[in-house]
This record gives sequence, structure tokens and C-alpha cells, in this order.
Amino acid sequence: MLCGLVQDQDDVPVIRFEQVSKRYPGNANALEALSFALAPAEMAFVTGHSGAGKSTLLKLIGLLERPSHGAVTVAGRNLAQMRQRGIAQHRRMIGMVFQDHHLLLDRSVQANVELPLVVAGMPAEERAKRARAALEKVGLGGMERRLPVRLSTGEQQRVGIARAIVARPAVLLADEPTGNLDPQLAVEIMGLFAEFQAIGTTVLVATHDLVLIKRIRKRVLVLDHGRLVDDVPATEVAA
Amino acid sequence: MNSREQAATRRGAPARWWRAHRWALGQSLLRLRERPLGTALTVAVMGLALALPLSFYLVQINLDRLGQALGTQQALNVFLKQDQTQAQAEALARTLRADPAVAAVTLKSPAAGLSELAALQGFGPALAALPDNPLPWVLVLRPRATAVPAAVRALATRLRGNGAVALVQDQGPLRARMDALTGFGRRVMQVLGALLALAAVLVVGASVRSDIQSRVDEIHVLQLVGASAAFVRRPYLYAGFWLGLLSGAVAVIVVLLLELALAAPAAQLDASWGGRLGFAALRATPLFVLLACAAMLGWLGARVASARHLAAGAPN
Repeated sequence: MLCGLVQDQDDVPVIRFEQVSKRYPGNANALEALSFALAPAEMAFVTGHSGAGKSTLLKLIGLLERPSHGAVTVAGRNLAQMRQRGIAQHRRMIGMVFQDHHLLLDRSVQANVELPLVVAGMPAEERAKRARAALEKVGLGGMERRLPVRLSTGEQQRVGIARAIVARPAVLLADEPTGNLDPQLAVEIMGLFAEFQAIGTTVLVATHDLVLIKRIRKRVLVLDHGRLVDDVPATEVAA
Repeated sequence: MNSREQAATRRGAPARWWRAHRWALGQSLLRLRERPLGTALTVAVMGLALALPLSFYLVQINLDRLGQALGTQQALNVFLKQDQTQAQAEALARTLRADPAVAAVTLKSPAAGLSELAALQGFGPALAALPDNPLPWVLVLRPRATAVPAAVRALATRLRGNGAVALVQDQGPLRARMDALTGFGRRVMQVLGALLALAAVLVVGASVRSDIQSRVDEIHVLQLVGASAAFVRRPYLYAGFWLGLLSGAVAVIVVLLLELALAAPAAQLDASWGGRLGFAALRATPLFVLLACAAMLGWLGARVASARHLAAGAPN
């Protein structure tokens, strides 16, 4: 079961941006009049040069930032109207993979991966089972008891990915998830994301790795200085 | 979610609630164990702060008992003239018992008075050497609790005018002074108790604040994976509760040790007064009340600190 999302309304976009702009104080617009929609179980890449607004876009969906203008709607709910309790519920249906991992360095790998399940109130045995399965999927089986500080950067990134997928979220957001991984592992991780897409998860990956984008062949949103300059369907992505 | 899944989610809510609390409880104990020195210092400071009001309370109840033991209850001692016989004394006692301001009248014979005096002052041999008992019959009047001081004073005045009465000793003013003194002491205790309770809240608040500041990253991660404000706050509230409870236990131990240290001199003092003082030890009830209050104060300190600092550190 995916976390808390109505999956039987295929025609309703899971993520919708309507004329969304984001301006940080003292800076130019990080995003400008951005409009797009992602259908349920759709996977897309967001690409563009550094500072194009990729991370900001993901932060708006994860409610780590609020738009300056426009409306961001996730699963039919306008995020601008969301209160504190709603924000927590919203984040529970989203898995987020960050560039800088956001791991708890004094907790074991398994404890880190279990965190979303702890928050969801899952029994300990079930948590452990799911965490082990998630770690197996990202190639870290057997490392449950290790501390993240004893892992390489790439392994830490995979722990972050395991934590993002362990609760089987309805939406998976990943910000440069393969930046620290070797090309082969990067493809495997993308394959894993595609598996989640196949079971109904909507996946949005921010990356500037064009080789990976061409290899995976999914829809691509191209940003430039905060503007959506191209929206390439999966079928038109050149191999 | 379809309706069946929603129903299953609703059914599982109590279990999830229980698991969340169990997790928070475990985390809170882990946090206290991770900072043994900080925890010990917080508990020691808060425990001593809480021991003081409890010690004041112990002193207060013993001062009250002392006041009663020293005969400062609001009583009238009516000394009859030397020529008054037992029958006359009993007749006057009967009359006074009918007075609405009087609760009880005790008749004390000259012989009883003499033996009491001999026992109290240690003058036994000297008094035994007297050829006659010089003491008169004495009526000890205890006014009704509802009697106003003015009515008791009027009764004393009336008795002074009685031809059979040599002297009326009204202990009301002494009692009033004693009451004022103990009332003052009680108020000082209450004010100091409130201030020390506030200090305890601040001590726990400072400890929780420091804990929150050292765990900013963890709090952010929890919020990012969907933890509610209550979920994030809960381990800190439990930690405050434990700090309060442990501090209460320290306070109880300190006061019990104080009692133990004072037991021998207090027994000596009591013995020198013929066992009339009867110093009291603390009963179990106030000790349990202190433990509960300490735990509540710890929780309150954690609640105030966490509400303020978690709101300030939220990622959104």
C-alpha cells in the first residue's frame, strides 16, 4: 500500500504547479511562473545547470519552502493552505532523497532507515523487516548495524535512498541522488526508482547527469534560470 | 485509501499511539544516559531546590506541634481561691460547662497540680518538703472552636468578677501571637516553595533547551520524514518528566537524611520536656506528593522550553 494517496483517480495529477514563482530575499527569482503536472505513477527528471531551480522545485513539493506566487498542489491538496499537522501528514506520503543525505550519524544504518516507519507508528519487527529489505534493494544488505560515519559517501547516499523508499511513499523526490555513486550503481538506483514507479509511485528526480537521463528515458523537465524551457516526453528522449 | 484501509488505519490508531509513546520514552531515557554528567547535575540542583520547601514543611509541622505541646492552645486557666472546696469547684465547673462559649472544662485538683509541677520543673524534692500543698483548685476551660476571641475575653472578664476566683490566666493573646508567627512562617515557606519550584522549572527548561540545541539535525530529519510537532516534542517531555521525578527522589532522600541527622538531638530535646513535644517525621503522603509535583514541574519546564525552541528550529 502506498502512503495515503488516492490512486484510483488516474486523470488527477499527483503534482501540479500553476504559475509558481519563488523568490529568496535579496535574490532573483529561483523559479518563475512554473507550470507543469505529473500524473500518478509517472517518473520524470528535472534538469538544468546549477542554480536553475531544481532543488527549489523539490523543496516546494516537500514543503521545505513556500512559493512566493502561484499554487503547488499535491494529491489534490493546495500546499499553501496546509497547517502544521497537515505538513507532517504530507511529508509522510513523500520520500525525499537529499544531496547531503541528512543522516543521523550517531544512529545505526538500520535506525536511520527505520525513522519514517517509527514516525508512522509501525511495530518494531515490521520496521526491522522493511528496513532490511530496503537496504537489500540499495545494495547495503548486511550493513544494518554500522554507523553512517563508517560508510563511504556513496553508501551514505544509498542509506538515504533506502530511508526514502522504506515507507513506500506515494511520491518520491530525489535531489541529485546519484551524484556520489559510480555509473553502474547510479543506473541500478534509477532502475529501483523505476520499479517504484511501476507499483504506482510518482517519482521526480533532479539531476544534471544527461547520460543517465538518456539511458533511463523518462519525461524530462528542463529548467533555466527558474523557467521551464522544455518539457520532453519520455518517448522523445534521445537514446 | 479506500474505506476498508481507512477503517484499518482507524483501528490501528491506539496501537500506533502506544508505539509512538514507547519510542519517545525509550529515546528520553537514552538521552539522559548519553549525558550522565549533565543529567546528574540537573537532578542534583533541582533535587536540592525541591528539598528546601520539603524541609520547611517538616519544620512547620513540628513548630505547630511544639506550639500545641507548650500549651499555647486557646485555654483559660481559672485559679480558685484557697478556701474553695472540691464541691464548690465542681459546682462552678458544672455552671461553666453550660456556657455556650465553652467546649470543655477540666478540673485540676491541688494534688494533681503539685505532682505536675514537680515532674515539669524538677522541683520534686523541694515541693515534697512543703508542709502543705499551696496550690488551689484550677479549672481549665477550653473554648469552642467557633467562639470568637471577643467572647472568650468576655468570659474571662466575667470570671475575674466571680468571688470564688483568684486569678484567670487567658492564653488567647499568646496563642494569637504564636498563630501569627506560624502563619508568617507558613507564608514564607509558600513563597520560597513557589520560587524554588520556578527555579526547578527553569533548570529543566535550560537542560532541555541545551538538549534541543545539540539535536537540531535529528529534529530536522524527523520533521523531514513526517514527524508531527507532538512526536518531535514527546521525548523532551518525557526527559523533563524523568528529570523531575529523579530530582523529587533526591529531595526526598535529602530530607529523610536530614530527619535521620536530627533524630537523636530531637529525641533528647523531647525527653527533656518529658516526652510532651513529640516531634513528627514526614509521612508517606507528602513525600509522594513531592514526587508527583517534581515530575510535573519537570514536564512543565520541558514543555515550555520545547515549545519555544522547536518552533524556532522548524525547517519550514
